[in-house]
Amino acid sequence: MENNQKRLTRRDFIRGTVGATLAVSVLGVPWANGSEHAVQSSLVTVIRDKNVMDTTFKVDSKILQTMLDQTVLQVTGKVMIQEAWAELVKPDDIIGLVPTPHLNPTHPELVEVVKTSLMKKVGIPEKNIIMAQGGKRRPKQCTALISMPALKGHWLTGIGTVIKNYIMYSGRPSRYHEEKSAKLGEIWHIPEVKGKTRLVVVDAIHPLCDKGPQSDPRYKWAYNGLIAGTDPVAVETVCLKILTEKRRALRGESWPISPPPICVEAADKVYGLGTSKMEEIKIAHFGWEEDLLLG
Amino acid sequence: MMGSSSKTVLSFLLIIINVSFLEGISAKMTEKTVNLPKTIGVWTRSDSARIVDSSNIFHYMNGAGELYLAYGFNHLEVYEYTADQQDSILVEVYVMNTSNDAFGLLSLDWGGEPVTIHSKPSYQANPTVAPARALYGEGLLRIWADTIYARVMAYRETAASKEAVLSLGQTIAVNRKMSAEPELLNILPQAMGSDWKLRKDRVGYFRSHLVLNSLYYLSHQNILNLDHSTEAVTAPYENISDAGTSKRVQVLFVKYATPERAQKALDNFHNAYLHEHQKGFNPGVTKKHMNSFSVEDGWLGYALNETCLAVVFECPNRESAHMIIKHISCNATNKENDHGK
Repeated sequence: MENNQKRLTRRDFIRGTVGATLAVSVLGVPWANGSEHAVQSSLVTVIRDKNVMDTTFKVDSKILQTMLDQTVLQVTGKVMIQEAWAELVKPDDIIGLVPTPHLNPTHPELVEVVKTSLMKKVGIPEKNIIMAQGGKRRPKQCTALISMPALKGHWLTGIGTVIKNYIMYSGRPSRYHEEKSAKLGEIWHIPEVKGKTRLVVVDAIHPLCDKGPQSDPRYKWAYNGLIAGTDPVAVETVCLKILTEKRRALRGESWPISPPPICVEAADKVYGLGTSKMEEIKIAHFGWEEDLLLG
Repeated sequence: MMGSSSKTVLSFLLIIINVSFLEGISAKMTEKTVNLPKTIGVWTRSDSARIVDSSNIFHYMNGAGELYLAYGFNHLEVYEYTADQQDSILVEVYVMNTSNDAFGLLSLDWGGEPVTIHSKPSYQANPTVAPARALYGEGLLRIWADTIYARVMAYRETAASKEAVLSLGQTIAVNRKMSAEPELLNILPQAMGSDWKLRKDRVGYFRSHLVLNSLYYLSHQNILNLDHSTEAVTAPYENISDAGTSKRVQVLFVKYATPERAQKALDNFHNAYLHEHQKGFNPGVTKKHMNSFSVEDGWLGYALNETCLAVVFECPNRESAHMIIKHISCNATNKENDHGK
């Protein structure tokens, strides 16, 4: 006989019982209450430059390089760029770069400037920088990962940016759709991945605020930004805020992301990957101020 | 070590497999629904379409394939137009099992600039919701033309690419039957009472809980037992007060294949969504099997009548829930009776 009280519904979101329901229906582990967390602040940087992409959607790599440098400086709190990178990775690391290949893919220019920085500013040989998106064999050979998803919604998981970026490492991505998308955080704990992510830098140059499932240019806009941090959940939470605000601005009325992105809160409360509470996130933004969407 | 005879057998098998595979490809390549020009403006397309069906749709578009499989999907034909110094134009022609399925895909988003395309009118359709059968916005044209849903997208919008996209759209739609909107849409009155007005720009037609969740989230699970044998429509109704504030309710109407399936779906929905409330109907309220419940976001009302389940969410009070559900149910009964005449 079915246990009818174990199905996640709209009412759980209104009541705030998402965690309890998921804990018994999908996760099989308790959902931590907010009070059980030690309050800590996670830093998320939002660096924007109005001119990083032109009206033909061409990205200026020089400006992007400057934005990346500023990102790394702000994330680490260092003054010199070499010092800043050294805080994140070591010269003998084997680095896996993890961009998003599908539906609003990561700009190749971003991948290139990260790679160039690692080579020139940290001294990592090119052969030790691997394109690590794909099966779990790729992160296995890496000692450090830099996650570089593009900002976008997703029609099966709500948001398809940071937490979902490692879905291919699971070997069975279809197991993480619908209600089971709450479990996306567990992929960050598989041995090939756990503890390796040194930086999350989200390509928010030309985000997609609708969920797709295919790209619709009406819902892409020039945000011209990089959103970064070392706490993946905090970065995702800020991304979610920007998507939500943009959707409201576009329609002039509430336009909730649907289905709700349950993976974000679960990544915090079940998998301990970081914080999903805006009050625990310090946002440092620099550069272009217009339509920041963080109000 | 593999012997020479084994190698020969293996080679032979590989040849057979290859020939079969190529024959399959060849057969698929000859199958085409639209006759698109080889060149349009400065763009030129490849000779043959890429054919995608349910067996390889995830290879083509990953999880996005779930959307098309959630409707009655036959196959997809893909053309790419390229040009020197220009971004390409992608043409995707989704051949659906019914016109309703193609309509459903367009109904997921009524935004964009309505575009007139020249379909062949089979009869004068009197649309309930559709502002047009083609909608254009920033380089993307979406078309409903009989059993076809098409997306024609210029990766970068220019005056020339817009002209090419619209022209390709005309070619796709030309001489296709101008089918009527799904009959189920007629269930939705334009207004209920003097207060509640249909948001025509938010009407969605579907058969799957995945699509419902993208329009109005209910549950990650399929608590209404939706599948290809069902058809459903959802839309908000808005009540704008004199002060300019608006209140919105969401109407959902599902038609099942049999009364038994409808009853079972209601049981499942009630168990999942209203498990603390007693099941059953209030026969005294109307002749219809109707009930209403107070939940966190307002009053929820439902009614079951033969194969049809009507549900309304987020009503401000019990009276409005009853009024709306009664209105929808009566409308459904009247349409059913009209149909039976």
